[in-house]
Order: sequence, then C-alpha cells, then structure tokens
Amino acid sequence: MQFLYNIGRYFVFVKRVFAKPEKPKLYLLNIVREIWNLGVGSLGIVAIISVFIGAVIALQTAYNVTNPLFPLYYIGLGVRDSMMLEFSSTIVGLILAGKVGSSIASEIGTMQVTEQIDALEIMGINPASFLIMPKTIGMLIFSPILTILSVTIGILGGYLAVLATAIIPLQDYLFGLTLDFVPYYLVYSIIKGLVFAFIITTVSGYQGYYASGGSLEVGKASTQGVVYSSILILIFNLILTQLLLA
Amino acid sequence: MIEVCSVRKAFNNVIVLDDISASFEKGKVNLIIGQSGSGKTVLLKTLVGLFDPDSGHVLYDNRNFTEMNVNQKRTIRKEIGMLFQGNALFDWATVEQNVRFPLDFFTNMPMKEKQKRVSFCLERVQLSHATKLMPGELSGGMKKRVAIARAIALNPKYLFCDEPNSGLDPQTSTVIDNLILEITKEIGMTTIVNTHDLNSVLSIGETIIFIKSGKKWWEGSRENILETDNQELREFLFASEVLRKTLVVKS
Repeated sequence: MQFLYNIGRYFVFVKRVFAKPEKPKLYLLNIVREIWNLGVGSLGIVAIISVFIGAVIALQTAYNVTNPLFPLYYIGLGVRDSMMLEFSSTIVGLILAGKVGSSIASEIGTMQVTEQIDALEIMGINPASFLIMPKTIGMLIFSPILTILSVTIGILGGYLAVLATAIIPLQDYLFGLTLDFVPYYLVYSIIKGLVFAFIITTVSGYQGYYASGGSLEVGKASTQGVVYSSILILIFNLILTQLLLA
Repeated sequence: MIEVCSVRKAFNNVIVLDDISASFEKGKVNLIIGQSGSGKTVLLKTLVGLFDPDSGHVLYDNRNFTEMNVNQKRTIRKEIGMLFQGNALFDWATVEQNVRFPLDFFTNMPMKEKQKRVSFCLERVQLSHATKLMPGELSGGMKKRVAIARAIALNPKYLFCDEPNSGLDPQTSTVIDNLILEITKEIGMTTIVNTHDLNSVLSIGETIIFIKSGKKWWEGSRENILETDNQELREFLFASEVLRKTLVVKS
C-alpha cells in the first residue's frame, strides 16, 4: 500500500515540479547554476570512470581472443560500441545516481528539515518547481554532453591501454574504431542518458522533499534517493533497450 | 485581522487542535502561548496554510483562506511574512540575497530600488554591516534579525513568528521582541507570535491566547494575565519557582 502511495505521490510531485514557473528569469539563472554544479561538476568523475572502462574493455577483449582468425580490429569496434551501447549511459548513470542523486536528496532534505521549503511555500512560491525543475532541466541539457564525452574518453582509454601494452597493433585498434559505425547507437545512448538524468533528479528530489525529522532522516533520504534511482535506471535500461533496439 | 473559527486538527487520530476559535487584531502583537507540545506551532502552521484544518476555517480580513484554491492562497501568502523557529534562512544565499529574495520573486523593481529596500530592511534590524555574510557566519540573534528583515521586505500585512526567542539569551530576546513590536506598529501589520517566553508575554503581549493540549483555555492581555484565576494558565505562568517568589514579594 505504501509503495502505491509513494508512486502516486511521486507523480503528483513531478506535476508540481513542472508547473508553470512564477518568474522564468530566476529559473533560468538557477538552470545555469545547476548546469555548472551538477553537470560540469560531474565531468571529472565521468572522465575518470570512462577512461578506465574503455581501457579495461580493450584489454579484456584482447586477452580473451584466442582464435587467430578473429580480426584484431574488432577490439576497437568493441570498445566503441560497448561504450555507446551500455557503459557511457548506464554505468555513468549509476555513478551519477550516487554522486548527483545523493547531493540533490541531501540538499533538498536539509532544506526541508530546516524549514527553508516551508519558507518558500509561505512566500507563495512553488518550492518543488523552484528547487527541482532547474536541477532536472540542467541535467537534461548537460546529459548528452556527458554521454558523448564519456564515449570519447572511453575510446581514448582503450587507445591508451593498447598504446601502453601493445597488446594489438595500434592501427588495428584505430581501424576498428572507424568500422561499421552506426550513428543510431549514439542517439540511443543519448536517449538513455536523458531518461536516466530525469530519473536521478526527480527521484532524489522527491526523497529529499518528503524527508522529515532531522539529520538521520536526511541521510536516509539520501540513501533512498541513490538506491531507488539506481534500481529505476536498471529497469529503464532494460525497457529502453527493448524499445529502441528491437 | 485574522480570525480562526472552530479549527480542529488531528494527526493519526491524535487531536492536536480542538475547536479553537480566536481573533488576532490588526496593528497589534497577538501572542499564542502554551507549553511545548500544546499545539502552538500546529496552530500557526494551520493559520498560514502549511496544514489544512480537519474542520473549521481561517479568515484573513474576511477572506476565507481555508476554502481557497492553491493560486488564491498564493496571492494571500504574498501578504504574509514569517519568522521560523529555526530562521529558515536560505543557506546558499548571503544575508543581502536572503532579504532580496522576495523582492526578486514578486516585484519588478529595478535592481537599484531593490538594493535600497534591502538596505532599509537591514538597517531597520541593525545589520547593515552584514550584507555579504552567509547564514552560517551569523550568530543566533543575527539570524533572527535577518529573518525579520526578509519577512518585512515586501511590507507584509500579516507577520507570523514561531518562537522568535528560542535559543537566544534574555538580552537578545528583548531586542527581538522590541523589534517585532516596533515593526508591527510601523507597518500596521497583524502580528501573531508563538511563544512560551514570559518576558515576551509581559512585554509585547497586547492580546494573548493560552492553549493547552490543543484547547484554548484563556484569552486576555499582558495587563490582566498575572491576575488570572484560570488554574491551567497559572500553572503555566508560575511554573518557575523564582518567578513565583518574585511576584509574591512584589505583591
């Protein structure tokens, strides 16, 4: 019963988040701020994860190729497509659920327990919209940049691994990168990134918004924000894969 | 004037407000007093619409606030200033930005005019020197004063203060009390203050209601509160041994 109640309340919350803004100019400033805080602030972690994922995919594929007839340039193709199809959206999404999701849930939760959200409400401002909408839109705007960047850095990671270990000839890796490129995979990756960005910001925002009590509850809200966002990312990963690739 | 008519509120079948009726006059500091857990904060939050009453209604100058839709309530809320128990200052904004926030949101004033208004409000609470500080850098008393400055930025018709003296020393409490009283007179607001601080009761309580266990037990003013024969109120007022002895000596 509580589960259904939370689902219903989440949709009511999302409706409030996307209600017409009272002062669009102020929202615009907040969107820019959130792009900087949440989006640009995540560049470092996304780059680090992507470079290692790309490197590991390249090495694992190379070490597992035992058939001498297997063309080595497929390793480059494998890194590129794996990054586009799965890692740059889903794994980065899960990492961002941890970083961005916990940050949003704890920020909003703290505002809730310190009555800052009540203060906004009493001023006649829609707090859900004022606080969460800029974060969601900011992340939606920046998500494609993060996805493309992750793909690029992942491929670079593979390149560096090949360069450092000389496990396959570098020209094979580079040739593989250009082979059978399907632009739609990038679109698919970006769409997944957008959906995950929406899930992370609204689910974590929801958890923080309905936190009550004190610091313990804020911590709990933060954890729940990360856990529920991660589970939803995995579920939607499956749904979107079926919908977009079938 | 704000009127409360037969308001009831319960949480999980526990009655917190039980048939409370009262009127709070314009241009006066109206106090709601009572012990911790008596229902003062719930009453205040019901007045401003953060809680909806289970029955009864709240009137703002004869406008039925309880029956209004969200947008109509928002219009009324633009006439409200509120000072929260924990100040509720926006911790991402400086003192100046906190006070300017309602002006940014609800007025189309040019920046220069907004700055002028912010300076006036901060000067009024004697915090002109603290404009660039963040809430985390302020003392408890300063935070309260910034919250007052923010609450009056839009020249509200109604001011609500939830335990404005909580966590403050007696001297700072007096400063805050006087500020609330002076501002109420200057702007001619309807001010409602929740408190259990006896200094506030005796110094600024122009009209007072006493609630206990969610019920209104007494109504009066600071002039006649000490002479009350209401047993519940006497127990609340004279809970302090020191005060009891002092008043016996005085009388």
